[in-house]
Amino acid sequence: MNISTILILLFNGVLLGFIYSVVSIGFSLVLGIGQVINFAHGLLFAFGAHIFWYISPTIGYWPAFVITPLIVGGLGFLIEKLVITRVYGQDPLFGLLVTLGISLAGAELIRMIWGKLTKTVSTPVFAVGQVHLVNIIYPRYRVILAVISLLIILFVWWLIIRSNFGTIVKAGMTDSEMISALGHNLPVLRNRVFVMGSILAGVAGIVAAPLWGVKSEMGNDILMLAFIIALMGGLGSIKGTVIAGLVIGIISSLGVLFIPRMVEAVPFILLIVVLFYKPKGLYGELTILGEVTAREK
Amino acid sequence: MNTQYKLLNDPFLYLFIFFSIFPFIPILGKHISLGTEVLIWFLYALSFNLLLGYTGLPSFGHGAFYGVGSYVTALIYLRFVGNSRNIFLPLLASILVVGILSYFIGFVIRNKRGIYFALLTVAFSQVLYIIAFKWTEVTGGELGITRLFRGQFLGINLESSIRYYYFVLLIAFLGSIAIRKITLSPFGKVLQSLKQNETRVQYLGYDSAKYCCYVMTISGTFAGLCGGLYCMLYSSVFADNMHWIKSGDVVIATLLGGGMTNFYGPIVGSSIFILAREILSSVWDNWVLLYGFAFVLIILFMPTGLLGIFGKMKEKKHFEQFNNNKNR
Repeated sequence: MNISTILILLFNGVLLGFIYSVVSIGFSLVLGIGQVINFAHGLLFAFGAHIFWYISPTIGYWPAFVITPLIVGGLGFLIEKLVITRVYGQDPLFGLLVTLGISLAGAELIRMIWGKLTKTVSTPVFAVGQVHLVNIIYPRYRVILAVISLLIILFVWWLIIRSNFGTIVKAGMTDSEMISALGHNLPVLRNRVFVMGSILAGVAGIVAAPLWGVKSEMGNDILMLAFIIALMGGLGSIKGTVIAGLVIGIISSLGVLFIPRMVEAVPFILLIVVLFYKPKGLYGELTILGEVTAREK
Repeated sequence: MNTQYKLLNDPFLYLFIFFSIFPFIPILGKHISLGTEVLIWFLYALSFNLLLGYTGLPSFGHGAFYGVGSYVTALIYLRFVGNSRNIFLPLLASILVVGILSYFIGFVIRNKRGIYFALLTVAFSQVLYIIAFKWTEVTGGELGITRLFRGQFLGINLESSIRYYYFVLLIAFLGSIAIRKITLSPFGKVLQSLKQNETRVQYLGYDSAKYCCYVMTISGTFAGLCGGLYCMLYSSVFADNMHWIKSGDVVIATLLGGGMTNFYGPIVGSSIFILAREILSSVWDNWVLLYGFAFVLIILFMPTGLLGIFGKMKEKKHFEQFNNNKNR
């Protein structure tokens, strides 16, 4: 176990953390504004990866990079309009079960259309080669992917923290009745946030596609992680979500050195710890979905 | 009301008669192991409904108890039973171990409610799943444990599948009657009132956390027993059953039948679930697509489940609609 191995794993962890953060931010925003635990988020992620794998050889890398999130966003729009609008304001378990049903059906749809095998996305021509970082050699493609995810995170951060839209979204998380009383159209706002979350999931799918391979179960794998990260970071806090994403990413990457078998269990143990000791997450001001325990009320 | 009248109005009597003659029904009777699985699921879903339908605790990790029950049965069977192939000790061990495990988990999360409860059960079950999946020396990892040939239960020969069917029938009915007794007992009434208004129950002097812990133990123990019966049915154990997606199946089966409003809902739901799974999967590879959509439609348009449609519920006063528990 020398220093360059650790460094490579660390860089992998940071890249993973960025991908996790992009997925989790979307999840967290939808959870905040709609009070819906969106189990279909992983499905949108898987759809992003599959559509990108399917269309990028014909229309080229960058056009596919732009079109795929739009398609996934459209899909998110449909899911929201057709199903999720019906569960707003009801028991959170309701939304969870409905979206679980959607994700089961959607994963099967992916298997129907594109088959069960794991597919690989080849490196585009401009990204072939290595980069020298500190004292290690690192694939250039991964660096590009990390930069892309970082840019997306910064853009979303700007959108939520600095823009007018973001202010309304944050207000909607604290008191959705109040913002409708102030004349903002809450259904439209929820719809936009959901579409934004879907687009983020789609982009994350594109970024993750060359790293993990494209398969229909990839959504389930990341869904629980997104959930854990959104909870750890605190609802609606971009900063907290990114930090939590990086922590989970680096732990899952470096953990392979120390506990190779049980590394997948670590996020769940963290989830238990967070739910017990910090139910509001690292930087959150709200607990998700109302009360935490029977007695704290 | 005399005893005879009560007995004749008891759905369990008719269910028992139906399942007793099931092996002799012309076409269905050929699928004995399917029937056994339905019976196992029937007890499993009823025990799960103690949590979801009666106490209002949405457990998404029930598959873990089921899976741990299977593994304990399998391991005890391989280590200690030897040539007698008596499955009494393995099943007893699964009840004890899962009972202790579910008491422990229930104790840890006894104060959590709603979605936090659901998440914690998912987290615990995933940790157990990963242990089962990765601890290859003991659990066989991805390959699971196979070659578990059941022999006898305290001298009763269970080798043939029809004998095992009747054995499971007996256990499933005894278990179901016990669960019904629990729901009708004062303890069960407290559970139902916990679902409606926990704060008021606390003001009445009940320690609600203790009740949640106990119901978790009872429910988990039955699930463990079901897991044990299941692994002896198919002579094998795999970690798949412990994944949270699989734990979702029992939630779906319970809601499908109407477990939120009717005691017998889980029985209807799990029978339909198992049959639909077997029939659809033999006809069409991508049956999960239909299943997913059907599930969405059921949740959206008939949240009270199939038995909920018929309206007249035996104990409807004690239940509320699924989505109407905001004041909890």
